[in-house]
Amino acid sequence: MAVSAADNVPPFIAAQLTHLLSHFRLTLKVEQMWSADKYNSGPFDRFTLLIPFCLDFIKWDVIYNAECPTVAPDVIFGPEDEDFHPFHMPSDDGTQATSCLSDWNYGDPTRLLSLVQFLRDQYVLYQRKRVGEVDDDRLKFEISTILSREGIEMHMSSGAEKPEEVKFAVPLLDMNINKMVPSCPWRYPQKIHLQVVYPVGRKYMSAPSAPRLKLVSSSELKALFSIDDVKLPPWLDGMCLAEYLPNLEEYLEKQVSEAVLSIDLRRQFIEALAIQLGRPVEADPVFCRKATFLSATGVFTFLIHFLIPTQFPKQQPTIMLQSSQHFNSQMAPLKSRPLVDYPWSPRWEPLLMADRVYEFLADEALNFKRQCSEGTLQ
Amino acid sequence: MDDHPPLQKIAISGPTLASLIQRFSTSPSSLHGLLFGHVTLLTPLNLSDDPSTTSSATTTSDESTSSATLVATVTGFMASPSPTSTFYDSTGTVTPTSISHLLHNHHNHNNHHLIGWFSARRKTPLRPSMREFSVTQSLSSLSAFSSQIQNSPNPNSTSSSSSSFSSSTFSPCIFILLSSPFSNDHIHTHEYRAYQLRASSSFEPKLIDIVNIGPAFRGHYGSFSPNAPFPALECDLGMSSMNEEREGNAAGKEDERLSVMREKAKDQRELDGCAEGFEVGRLRRMMGSEARSYTSNLEDLYEKMLAKVENLTRLVEQSNAKVLEQEHYNRKLRQKIRAAASE
Repeated sequence: MAVSAADNVPPFIAAQLTHLLSHFRLTLKVEQMWSADKYNSGPFDRFTLLIPFCLDFIKWDVIYNAECPTVAPDVIFGPEDEDFHPFHMPSDDGTQATSCLSDWNYGDPTRLLSLVQFLRDQYVLYQRKRVGEVDDDRLKFEISTILSREGIEMHMSSGAEKPEEVKFAVPLLDMNINKMVPSCPWRYPQKIHLQVVYPVGRKYMSAPSAPRLKLVSSSELKALFSIDDVKLPPWLDGMCLAEYLPNLEEYLEKQVSEAVLSIDLRRQFIEALAIQLGRPVEADPVFCRKATFLSATGVFTFLIHFLIPTQFPKQQPTIMLQSSQHFNSQMAPLKSRPLVDYPWSPRWEPLLMADRVYEFLADEALNFKRQCSEGTLQ
Repeated sequence: MDDHPPLQKIAISGPTLASLIQRFSTSPSSLHGLLFGHVTLLTPLNLSDDPSTTSSATTTSDESTSSATLVATVTGFMASPSPTSTFYDSTGTVTPTSISHLLHNHHNHNNHHLIGWFSARRKTPLRPSMREFSVTQSLSSLSAFSSQIQNSPNPNSTSSSSSSFSSSTFSPCIFILLSSPFSNDHIHTHEYRAYQLRASSSFEPKLIDIVNIGPAFRGHYGSFSPNAPFPALECDLGMSSMNEEREGNAAGKEDERLSVMREKAKDQRELDGCAEGFEVGRLRRMMGSEARSYTSNLEDLYEKMLAKVENLTRLVEQSNAKVLEQEHYNRKLRQKIRAAASE
């Protein structure tokens, strides 16, 4: 999100904020910006930052002072983190801490980024320390076994009404998925995390129960591979995370490799369709999830949209027809309902698949034409 | 660093709190400054008329110091003149020189010591920020500005249970935070909360007790101490008239009269500092064997003192308006310069 000066944001704040949002290694968001006076008529010198942490967001308020640009900004942390004092953490060496805020140069756009980076790193350590202080033997054991893994973030939630829980965000799969996809358009490396939630504080439970597990991936990954389709291996009684993770990773790696191979399958299907229907008007060349063809029956010209799922060929593509000659009341072209009930078998060769789809379309197109002229479509 | 003794509550007089809120609501942006007051150890009375509880009363008399409560009273504040001239730097460190600079005109008399600081910022959550913690910690570690706890027990006393109040000094560890909620409607809401920084490096919220004049005020009578005491005047009980008759020498009498007149003029000036138009001679008539119509004179004195206060407030109001105008003008100039510089 680019912050423009027209938004009533003082230029020195806009420069630092824009630099932060575009260069921070994680995706930060600004929830809102406001000014120091009651009616928001002054310059906007305060904003709320949403910072991803442990597969969730933490909200910090950053307070500048538009009247005194030379003063460094102040930060207000979340309501649960009253004990978080980033510049007074015991394991600190004071030099790194003070260099973030001392000699604040408001004209340097990188200062805010180094400050937020430092604060977030301190926050990770603070949460780790909090989790380490939880009096739960099983948790202590788990921590000791997986601490060697890089990039784990922990969070202890201690709301007044919520039960105490410790959440781990474990990054999985060391492999660079971006490299596996030819001409991959993703800007950032895609990662899959395992979220593990342990309930703590209930001493009367004799056998440790299985933690809640969930897979979370970065949003762009679903073009290639949907983690909702992944069935997690079961957590057996008495298992610990160090045992569970290798199995899961092996399983996921297979899934990801299969997903990458299935790109080729989809591509073959589209190429086979092209033999029957001519070159596609539009097609997705990287992930081969979509293709659109132009066709005609008699004088009726129409478009055919293919939406190919990640589970292809087990799951058949969705076909949608779109007329180029009929429009509805909002001046949008008439479209058919999504068609998924045509003959299909995953065992067919791509050419056979294309033949069968073509036969189906030959009939369906006439249906569609009739529906368009009768006005039975929305 | 030894632990700061825990406060039971923080008392602030109604006018002081109102004046703090008013200063904040008229300020265009954030505000901060120092808090002054004193810390007192109150020992509650354990006397009871009920004979069945006398036994427990006697046993607790030895432990009376353990149920004593520490109360901080805020009597005044001083806001930093402008956001640029702060007593702390970007990292939140406070240096003794910056505090001394702010306090150098300040009269540090009996009950008006530095006990903490306040910060006021609109439309922000009502909890201490990163820098506010650093500043409070830095300020409370400046032992040079610690003040004495009043009525604190003698450290050499035999009471063994006063261990929690082993130190009789109080460093400035109080922090008052003022804020306002986010809503944009036409109701002005002022939120405030007071904290004490304990040595465990955490803020403990404290109860704020607002002291106003009224039936509940009587409890404070015992710990009341004036901020503006009556000036000390030389008292010569009915001797002056006798002195005048004793001297026979004309020239000596002239000198006597001159010095008496000078003395009287000086006294009148001191009295004019706290009352308006009350003649010093009337004070003499209120004391000693010649005192008469004491009540009406005293009432008159109080009336004249109130009139003086009223005049002073009017002057303050006028000068405040002038200062505000000047500040407004300065802000406009700064904005112009900044706008010109960014082009």
